[in-house]
Amino acid sequence: MSRTLEDVLFGDLNHRAQAITRGVSVTVAAALAVLLAAIVCRFHAAGQFEPRLWEFFAWETTWAFLGKGLLGTLASAAAAAGIALALGLVLLVGRLSPLRLVRWPAVAVIEFLRGVPTLLLIYVCFLVLPSVGIKLNAYWMLTLPVGLSTAAVVAEVYRAGVLAVPRGQTEAARALGLTQARVFVHVVFPQALRYIVPALVAQLVIVVKDTTFGYVVTYGELMQNAKVLISNYRSLVPVYLAVAVLYCLVNYGISRASRRLARPMG
Amino acid sequence: MESVLRLLADHGPAFGQALLLTWKLTALSFVAGFALGIVVAVASLLPLRPLRFVLIGYVEVFRNIPSVALLIFIVFALPDLQVVIDYEPSVILTLSLVCSAFTADYLRTGINTVAGGQVDAARSLGMSPMVIISSIVLPQALRSVVQPMTSLLIALMLSTALASQVPLPGRELTALVAKIANDSAAGISAFALAAAMYLASGLLIAWAGATLDRKVRILR
Repeated sequence: MSRTLEDVLFGDLNHRAQAITRGVSVTVAAALAVLLAAIVCRFHAAGQFEPRLWEFFAWETTWAFLGKGLLGTLASAAAAAGIALALGLVLLVGRLSPLRLVRWPAVAVIEFLRGVPTLLLIYVCFLVLPSVGIKLNAYWMLTLPVGLSTAAVVAEVYRAGVLAVPRGQTEAARALGLTQARVFVHVVFPQALRYIVPALVAQLVIVVKDTTFGYVVTYGELMQNAKVLISNYRSLVPVYLAVAVLYCLVNYGISRASRRLARPMG
Repeated sequence: MESVLRLLADHGPAFGQALLLTWKLTALSFVAGFALGIVVAVASLLPLRPLRFVLIGYVEVFRNIPSVALLIFIVFALPDLQVVIDYEPSVILTLSLVCSAFTADYLRTGINTVAGGQVDAARSLGMSPMVIISSIVLPQALRSVVQPMTSLLIALMLSTALASQVPLPGRELTALVAKIANDSAAGISAFALAAAMYLASGLLIAWAGATLDRKVRILR
């Protein structure tokens, strides 16, 4: 069964239907071309093709600055991912604990961090924590909230993986005399990880997206550096377009990697 | 506790309005995004190469772009192209575009769960492809995506926080907390109250989604 649904639906059209399909295809292509032309015209009419709005993209310094922003984004995303992976594991162990005194707080923390917008957590680190005497620098005001809210999601992803490991594995290991802790560390968790690597990598896309809020705390990530470029060159459309393309490329790359990992291993 | 009570006395109505605005933004963008997502998913089934090509690009772009970057582009860059959209419609447009891309993606997965044999059978009964899509494929696909759509709706509800990044006339929850924290020392209790409201909204959506899923799920 390798036929896709499209093939089944439209697979064996008669000649007339094929001719119609071709005709409509050409019409659609023409309509899309007209749309593209209209966008180009709009750019031209609004004076957005003026060289002064684009010329700085030919300068090395521009790309060095945007590259620095991208590095800032990645540095924050990487640390946030590290926090999420580690804290997620702690929350998972708490969530799976047979002791209610441990399990309930873990559930509460997970539900809380998952149920609150990351941006709200960033505002707490930015506006509320300083008033109680905790001062973080811009990097941590961004990275910590992003890491925390991702940790809760990661804990649930871990849990899905652990639940996917067949019970027989635990029972067999216990029957061999391994302690509960060793069963988890040596038998269950390594297998769980294999199930969830694609989901974890996909989560990275959300981390990268969340670091976009870095400009809120004036941390030098891609969006913040874009704003600086814009105030220097008064060139909104080209810079924001470039930034959007960069974000899309990075996230598309991560998504592709995740999908590749999700394919069954030969 | 006392500080929360004082906060409620001072800002109670403001929180009520903020919660309503959060819900309004969520509901409008979900309805628009869901409808658009269905259109995109169905249109990508058609045997029209150029259209498919563009729609694949559409889904990838809006799935991967950070919502804030999109919102800022719509609000601050589009006016340079002489396209001026008011703040609230801009937020709704941003969230609907993102929501539509994810909806199309989930629906595609749902559509793939429909067995090819059903479509074969329908075709041999003489049904046209569009009738097959609308009366056989889509109903089953929609039933199978209730769970991911519930998660998407919760994520969308949390994403309305980005409305605080544009000068909306009314304040939604995050913008309200930011303002209170800026103006006074009541930041922590304001944050706690807003967090409770977000959590309650999320639980409400999760419950509604689970109920709907139990009703419509197809047991195979």
